[in-house]
This record gives sequence, structure tokens and C-alpha cells, in this order.
Amino acid sequence: MSSSATALRELQRDLENKANDLSKLQKDIAKNHQVRKKYTIQLGENELVLKELDLLNEDANVYKLIGPVLVKQDLAEANANVRKRIEYISAELKRLDSSLQDLEEKQHSKREAILKVQQRIQAGKAKA
Amino acid sequence: MASSRGAGSQQAIRMADLEKMSLDQLKAVKEQADIEVNLLQDSLNNIRTATGRLENASAALHDLSLRPQGKNMLVPLTASLYVPGALDDADKVLVDIGTGYFVEKTMAEGKDYCERKINLLKSNFEQLIEVASNKKTLADEAGVVLQAKMKQLSPSS
Repeated sequence: MSSSATALRELQRDLENKANDLSKLQKDIAKNHQVRKKYTIQLGENELVLKELDLLNEDANVYKLIGPVLVKQDLAEANANVRKRIEYISAELKRLDSSLQDLEEKQHSKREAILKVQQRIQAGKAKA
Repeated sequence: MASSRGAGSQQAIRMADLEKMSLDQLKAVKEQADIEVNLLQDSLNNIRTATGRLENASAALHDLSLRPQGKNMLVPLTASLYVPGALDDADKVLVDIGTGYFVEKTMAEGKDYCERKINLLKSNFEQLIEVASNKKTLADEAGVVLQAKMKQLSPSS
């Protein structure tokens, strides 16, 4: 009677909490995708730059735009910088990949938990 | 031969899947496919714009190469302020290769750079068009099956 009503209310509260958790997870997954996209674009651009630098002769002049200033750079230094950036971005992407997998697993198990709570609520309502 | 048969059977599989799905699932599939088609169209437009800009750059380079050294010209300092000057060595050009790096190249190398980039963009364009048309076909098929099912469910009217 009243105990089953309170139990039902608790289940519904639990459902709400889980639903909130799920939507937070989904937001995190969406953010992950956004950051991933940004990094993938940067990686592509840096690889293009590396290819162009590789095509250059040893004595070609390379300049880097730092703010409003074009600064002459050493070809070897430019190569090293671009390579380092590529390494960094690849590492970030790998990290994002693993955290995405983690988030998706959590989302999946959250969905199952929600389903179970919903089933219990249905059962509770049927009894009452 | 084998690949086209594979693509054909993929098409057949999709139709069978679409038939089996419920109304809601069909709607979801169609919406998803529509969103993807729009995204792909945007990307295609971006590529077209970028290719246009590169072709302008190439034309400008070509024009520049025709000018003799020392020719009088107006140098833009801002969007509305030009200053008279003389054309210096027109054989060296600064090329923006991305991420803030500029490379000094000769006129010929500069033209070659533009050519290469234009070709790269064109091949990306072709690949994208194929993917986009596949997605569009899927969206259309889902729409057709959706309409057929809705008619089935409401025969009276």
C-alpha cells in the first residue's frame, strides 16, 4: 500500500537520476566527437605541410607566421616542429579514442540499468 | 564484376532491412541519412569554394609572371589605401602551406604548387560526390519504404 507507493517513488527518482546521467554521458560523447574532429583536421593540415617541406631543397627559405611577424626559420627546425606537432596530435587522438570507447561502454550499461528500473516500475504499478 | 555484384547485393540487403524495420526505426534512419547528406553537401561546397580560390591564385600567378621587372604598380597597404611602387623580383613567391608556415618558391614551383593542390581537391571532390550520392540513395529509399508503410497502416481515407 503506502510502502509500495514509496518504493515506486524511489524507483522513479532513481530513473530520473539515471536519465540525467545518461544525458550527461551523451553530451560528453558529443564533445569528444567535436574535439576529435578538430584534431583530425589539424593533423591533416600538418601532414600536408610536412609533405611540402619534404619537397623543398636544403637551401629553400621557410618563414613562420608568428602573430603579425613573418620570421625566417631553418628548414630542419620547421621539419622538427611540424613532426612534433603531428606526434602530439596523434597521441591526443589516441587518448580521445580510448576515452570515447570508455564513454560508450558507460552509456550502454547506463541504458541497460535504466531499462531494468523501468521494468521494475512497470511491475510495481501492475501489482498496485 | 565481383565488386559491382557486391554493391548490388548491398543495395538489395538494405532494401530488405528497410522493409523489416518498424515505422520509428525507418524515420530514424531517414532522418540520419538526411542529416548526413546535408553535411556532405556542405563539405562539397567548401571544396568547390577552395578550388575556386586556388584557381584564382593560379591565374594571378600566371598574370604576375607576365609582368616585367621594374614595372610601376599600386601596392595595397590596406583595403582602401594603395601606394605607387615598382615591381621587384617577380620570380620569387611566398606560398602559404598551412599552419602558419610560408615557403619561398620560384614562379614555376608556385604554379606547380597550385596545380598540385587543385588536383588534390578535385580528387577529394570526386570521392565525396560518390559517398554523398550513396547516402542520398539510402535516404530516398528509406523515404519510399516509409511512405509505403504509412499507407499500409492507414488504408481508410
